[in-house]
Order: sequence, then C-alpha cells, then structure tokens
Amino acid sequence: MLLEKDMKLADVINHDYNLVPVISRFGIMLGFGDSSIENICTKNEINVDFFLTILNSFHDPQYLDKNYLQNFPATLLIDYLQNAHSYYLQIKIPEIEFLIDEMAFKHEVDDTSHGLLQKFFEEYKAEFSKHIEREEKRVYPYIKDLETSLNNNNISHELLARIKEYSITSYQAEHENVEEKLMDLKNIIIKYLPSSQKQQTRYKLLKELLALEADLHDHARMEDLILVPKVEVLEKEITLKATINNNH
Amino acid sequence: MGKTKKVIVVSSAFLLSAGIENLALELSGMLVDHVYIGSEKNLCEKIISKKPEYVVIDPESINDGLLPLLRKLNQEKQIKIIGLISSNSKNNIISLFRHTLNIQHTKYKLVETLKKIIGKEDKVNNQDEKLLSKRETEILRNLALGLTNQEIADKLFLSIHTVMTHRKKITRKLAIKTVSGLTVYALMNKLVDMREVERSE
Repeated sequence: MLLEKDMKLADVINHDYNLVPVISRFGIMLGFGDSSIENICTKNEINVDFFLTILNSFHDPQYLDKNYLQNFPATLLIDYLQNAHSYYLQIKIPEIEFLIDEMAFKHEVDDTSHGLLQKFFEEYKAEFSKHIEREEKRVYPYIKDLETSLNNNNISHELLARIKEYSITSYQAEHENVEEKLMDLKNIIIKYLPSSQKQQTRYKLLKELLALEADLHDHARMEDLILVPKVEVLEKEITLKATINNNH
Repeated sequence: MGKTKKVIVVSSAFLLSAGIENLALELSGMLVDHVYIGSEKNLCEKIISKKPEYVVIDPESINDGLLPLLRKLNQEKQIKIIGLISSNSKNNIISLFRHTLNIQHTKYKLVETLKKIIGKEDKVNNQDEKLLSKRETEILRNLALGLTNQEIADKLFLSIHTVMTHRKKITRKLAIKTVSGLTVYALMNKLVDMREVERSE
C-alpha cells in the first residue's frame, strides 16, 4: 500500500507496526490521536515529502526510488541516518544486551552459553560502534562540506584534495561485514544454542535480532543506493565547477 | 521440506521481481532472498556473498555490465543462472543463458520449467549436508583456537587452498560466517574447551 499525506498516521501504524521505530526517529511520539500525516509533520516541523518517502521505503522496500530521494538535500538524509544510529546504539543494542542477560537470570541458558553469547555480542557492538563512529566523524562531515561549498560556490583547494584522496565507494563494503556477525548470532540462537524447557526470553531475543537485522538492512540500503550516488554527483559537480572557475 | 534454496533476483522491474517471488513460493523450499535492481556497485560480489543456489537475471535491467556479470557468476559452480526472456528477446541475449524463463508464459508452464531447472542436481547435495566431516571438524577446532588459514594449513599439512575450501563448506553447512561465530559454535558443541581457547588467546 502506498502511504500518502492525507492518511491518518494511526491507521498507517496499525497497518504496519514495523514503522514505529521509523516515526520515533523523526521525533514523533505516540499519542497523536487521529491527525493526518501532513498535520503531524507540520506540527513537528518535519519535511513531509521526505518523511513519506522514508516511510514508504521502509514499508515496502520495492518502493525505494533513488531518483526521487536524491532530490532531497544530503543534510536531511544525514540527519535522519544519525537519528537512526542513536536509536540503534542507545536503545536497540542495550535491549538485546538486557535480553541476553535475562536468559541467564531466568535460567533459560547455562552459564557457559550465556558467557559465549555475551562475549560475541560485545564484539559485535564494538565493531558496529566503530563503523558508526567512522560514518559520523568522517563520512558525514565530508558530505556536508561538499554540499555547503557547492551551495556557496566556495570551493577550496583543500576540499578538492579531499575529493581526490577520499573515495566514497570504499565505504560500502563495510556494511556487509557488520551485517554478517548479526546473522551469525541469529543462526546460533535458532540452531545451536542448547535447547531448554523455558524459552520465553529466547523468543523475545530472536524477535529483537530479526527486527534489528531488517532495520539495519534497509538502513544500509538507503546509504548505498541514495547517499553514495548522491555524493558521487556532488563530487563531480564540484570538480567540474572548479575546472570552470580556474579557466576564467 | 528439504533444504531451503536461496534465490537472488536481479531486476529493476517490479512486476517481474514480484512475479518471481510469487513463482518461487510455488516450489517448496525455494525462497527469494534478495532483489537487486541491477545498478548496484559490486553487484556480482554482493550476489556471491549471499551464497544463492539460483540467480534470476532480467537482462533488461543491466545496461552494459551483463557479460562480465555472467562470466563471473558462471565461475561459481553452485550457482545456477536463469535468464528472464520474452518471445521478443534477441537471440544473442537468449543464448547467454543455459536456463531461461519466458515472462510471457502462464504460471503453470513457468512452474513446470522451473521444476525441470532445479530438478536435476537436487539429489546430489542432500545427504552430506549438515554434518561436518572429520576434516572439517578438525579445521573448525583450529579456527576456534585462533589459528589463521595459513597456520592451519601448515599444522595439518594441507595447502591453504584446501583449507579455504573446507572453510567455505563449514560456513555453508552451519550458516555461520565469522570466526567469532564459528568459535561460539565450537564451544557450544564442546568441540573445543574454553580453557584451550583462553590459553591460545
């Protein structure tokens, strides 16, 4: 179903519960009554077209239309991606950590298995945080600089040097690596964690892992299919402009 | 139900990819794992890393990279490539594919064609699946102890190439890719002892 501005957000959430984390990333809190998507966006000072596009691409991955999304300023997309990052790091990861400990606390797994899962997830968390930190400290500021300098028509030599030395395409491969560990953990829980009588917490944990996996997958897709091509365009435009400026 | 067969679809045409997903559901165990639209960077590497059994390619969605893509995919012996063609497709496109599905065919005919495509090699792989061989277990043990591929090769008097082949098989059987994940598996199944692992760290 294509989601549109005049729909009630409550109906949309009823239709697809998985959108709850997405709207929360835009700062929309539950309790919005019967308001339409458009009204809620105005109230929260959110760009409604951008919001809808993101919402639609999470609701139905086939919807993701890179040509359309590339019309939005990169900064808008980066703000969104950064919000998503803090959602993963500050909410999702601790929730999963809590559930891993809860399994041991409720005697659903033996101590050895618990220790193994804990250590494995600790490693995952470290890798994941490092990846995010690299994006936020290096990749995003670089993109913002590209956009600002193009908008102000103020292209420094330093920026041109950075374009030459830094290639945005190199950062796509990293996504796959971060995804692999999470998939391993999921398979360990489904197939290899020794069975036990009580498994309530294990189900919860599995559900969280599946949700995180799906969410991260869409997230990485958004970066690879929209952000990266967008940056490539910016890089080209700036290089071209610099050449023209030099010739005058 | 037997082992799940992973299908990757490469097509930017929604009606086609949705149709393939629908078609795969008709055959038990076939599952469309991922749809690529065709213009992704490193498309071939991405496809291979998903370890699919089948890749369904819509030649229309790939502009100039079709030949190199097919050449690389053809080197992966486990992957069967299926081309989406129509009655209007040019012969030089059709001839690129050993297996094809005609998008103008009825569902019944497509299911029959698909059955024939997957039918043959179905039985070969089924038995030795799941259980690790002695050699594989040995290699897994050493991986868990923190040895590199080269170290394992030296220790067991194997070539590094053989070790890599075994590793690929282990990953395929267990559905675990990373060394840390394999270590967790080895410890949970008591293939190695926690003290051994700690000592080696």
